[in-house]
Amino acid sequence: MRRGTILALVFLLSWLGGCRSEHDGRLVVGSKNFTEQIVLAELLAQLVEARGGVDVQRRVNLGGTLLCHQAIRAGQIDLYVEYTGTALTAVLGEKPAGNAAEVLGRVREEYARRFGLRVGEPLGFENTFAIVVRGDAARQFGLKTISDLARHAPGWRAGFGYEFMERPDGFKGLASTYKLRFNATPRIMELGLLYRALKENQVDVVAGNSTDGVIAALDLVALEDDRGYFPPYQAVPVVRWQVLERLPGLREALGAIAGKISAEEMRRLNYAVDGEQRDVKAVVGGFLRSRGWVSP
Amino acid sequence: MGADEPERQTNRGIVAFRRVSYCLPGGRPLVSDLNLEIGEGETLVLLGRSGSGKTTTLKLINRLLEPAAGEVLVEGRSTQAWDPIRLRRRIGYVIQEVGLFPHLTVERNVGLVPELDGWEPTRIRTRVQELLLLVGLDPDAFARRRPHELSGGQRQRVGVARALAADPPFLLMDEPFGALDPVTRAELQHEFLALQARLRKTVVLVTHDVREALLLATRIALLSEGRLVGTYAPAAFLRAAEPEARGFLEVLSGPGPQNVPRGGL
Amino acid sequence: MNLLRFLADNRAEVFRLTLEHLALVAVAMLFAVAIGLPLGVALCRRAGLRRWVLAGASVMQTVPSLALFGFLIPVPLLGGIGARTAIVALTLYALLPILRNTYAGISGVDPAVVEAARGMGMTERQILWRVQVPLSLGVILAGVRVATVVSVGIATIAAAIGAGGLGMYIFRGLAMVNHQVILAGAIPAAILALLADFGLGWVERRLAAS
Repeated sequence: MRRGTILALVFLLSWLGGCRSEHDGRLVVGSKNFTEQIVLAELLAQLVEARGGVDVQRRVNLGGTLLCHQAIRAGQIDLYVEYTGTALTAVLGEKPAGNAAEVLGRVREEYARRFGLRVGEPLGFENTFAIVVRGDAARQFGLKTISDLARHAPGWRAGFGYEFMERPDGFKGLASTYKLRFNATPRIMELGLLYRALKENQVDVVAGNSTDGVIAALDLVALEDDRGYFPPYQAVPVVRWQVLERLPGLREALGAIAGKISAEEMRRLNYAVDGEQRDVKAVVGGFLRSRGWVSP
Repeated sequence: MGADEPERQTNRGIVAFRRVSYCLPGGRPLVSDLNLEIGEGETLVLLGRSGSGKTTTLKLINRLLEPAAGEVLVEGRSTQAWDPIRLRRRIGYVIQEVGLFPHLTVERNVGLVPELDGWEPTRIRTRVQELLLLVGLDPDAFARRRPHELSGGQRQRVGVARALAADPPFLLMDEPFGALDPVTRAELQHEFLALQARLRKTVVLVTHDVREALLLATRIALLSEGRLVGTYAPAAFLRAAEPEARGFLEVLSGPGPQNVPRGGL
Repeated sequence: MNLLRFLADNRAEVFRLTLEHLALVAVAMLFAVAIGLPLGVALCRRAGLRRWVLAGASVMQTVPSLALFGFLIPVPLLGGIGARTAIVALTLYALLPILRNTYAGISGVDPAVVEAARGMGMTERQILWRVQVPLSLGVILAGVRVATVVSVGIATIAAAIGAGGLGMYIFRGLAMVNHQVILAGAIPAAILALLADFGLGWVERRLAAS
């Protein structure tokens, strides 16, 4: 009888421990599975902890866009950074159309209406898909735009991530817009491997992110989207409305950084983690202090 | 090689131990300073208690063990000078567990050494038939069977047939009948005598059973704690005075048919 | 049900991915057997070598498969993305069961049989090939069977490094949070593993009976 009681207590405690209650004074920040997202999640977390006095749990590296979206809808995370173009095409399933402001407006409206999610002010930079080639190849063939690439594409080998292949604003649309054809089927692999594969000459072109830190460092070149195929991808915080109501400190913290992070700064932060192999927490802490958003 | 041939003829079927010792890697001697001669056509029985060194002595002959000191001469040549494979092909080896190859038929087991020696298949088949008959097994019934289908006695008969397949001049037997029931054992012992009368091989047989020794031996070599106590004709053994011999003799319950010494022909 | 419809609609792709998957496993197993069998035999002779080799193969098995794939990428010659790296990783994983079973099988042969063989004048090589290997085939094959089944499972990870196979559906499904697609990869892979298990098990039983 006593053993049974102890077991029951153990189960009860672990279940309680696993519970995420609405009524905690706590925030869960999530992220997708690439460096920039992890950096941004850490940035928001430290910001809110310092300025909002809120207890923050990080659940980073969750996988792709749709996984994060599901997680926030289910309340398993409260906040993450999305990109407006991605939200429009991959989440809302609409065709990419309109300029940055239009896309933002549409996304904000639909997210509130359909999901009860609040889309905050843009952080200040865009992160679009970047079609990246090696520097020497770009120079040799005079490649500046994706149209330039399309002329040489058939003989080249491409490497893409799973999400890029499947998303409506991904490879299929790109291929048809630019008449981009590869003789060899593109290699599909985990995101983290793409740049390495490109550098080591196992593929010739990859779809990366425009704010990836290593692009310049590895002497890679991001080609210009001369036909404007990709929609705008402004980085915006997406947050559950209940949490916003519950934590006024959160609203204040988000307000403090709205529009204040540039693409160049994002790239540098990314590079500090990817290229210099520095610890995310330290990089973010240093950045926040240097901008005066948290006190030293 | 050629120069050895004449020597081989006169030395056929002869084994000699010259001051042979063997120890375990730990240092404990299993055989000490052994001097022994075995003549052609003899049935020499190595008799002794457990640990007396009799199996070790046997294995020194076919070079499964190498002497630490002294030399073992087979047909006038030191075992160290023989190519071990060729040496063993000239010596039939029968062990207590028999060691038949479970994945081969009786026929292929018996014919193994001839096969290794490159005999022609028909010659092998004929020889196998001969041998099975020799050891008292009906070739038609047994040739295709597998070892696991045989009784203990049948298995050991096959073991003997296998050892005799290439007609070697020597036969080494290590407690060959020890694992059999007494009735089967007696049967095989008598058949062995009949076989030996026909084939006249030089046999070295290890046993701890004094009755078996008296029955089968033309000469008994008594070993104790790695040393040779003495060699005796069976009749002489009955009268031996050494305490080690007396120890064995006390086991005998009294005179009877199976105690009549044979051999010494 | 939807999964069946998906498999039917995409049967060309399912077929292609299944073939890719099988190819990865088959080539890796060929290498693993070609390396593992002789090495396992060599281990019977040398106690010193045995300890190191078996320890090494054990360590290899404890490395999480995804990590191993990752480690191999920067390695020159063997590495990079694609099927070659996947095959190297799969081979390394398959080695332990094969090595261990080969060694256990051969050294587990009845010592009386080996002694009789030696005493009748068989060379070490003859003893190995005519006695020890035939008698340990069942055990060796059991090792190959385990290695194959494990490989079918681990080969799903090959898709992470661009080597194709049924894992592509699994990763795609994970990225798009589409359970049907995940199952379209997982279930055929599981079926392949079961088929390998039964098939090789049948061969094992035939060998044991003979």
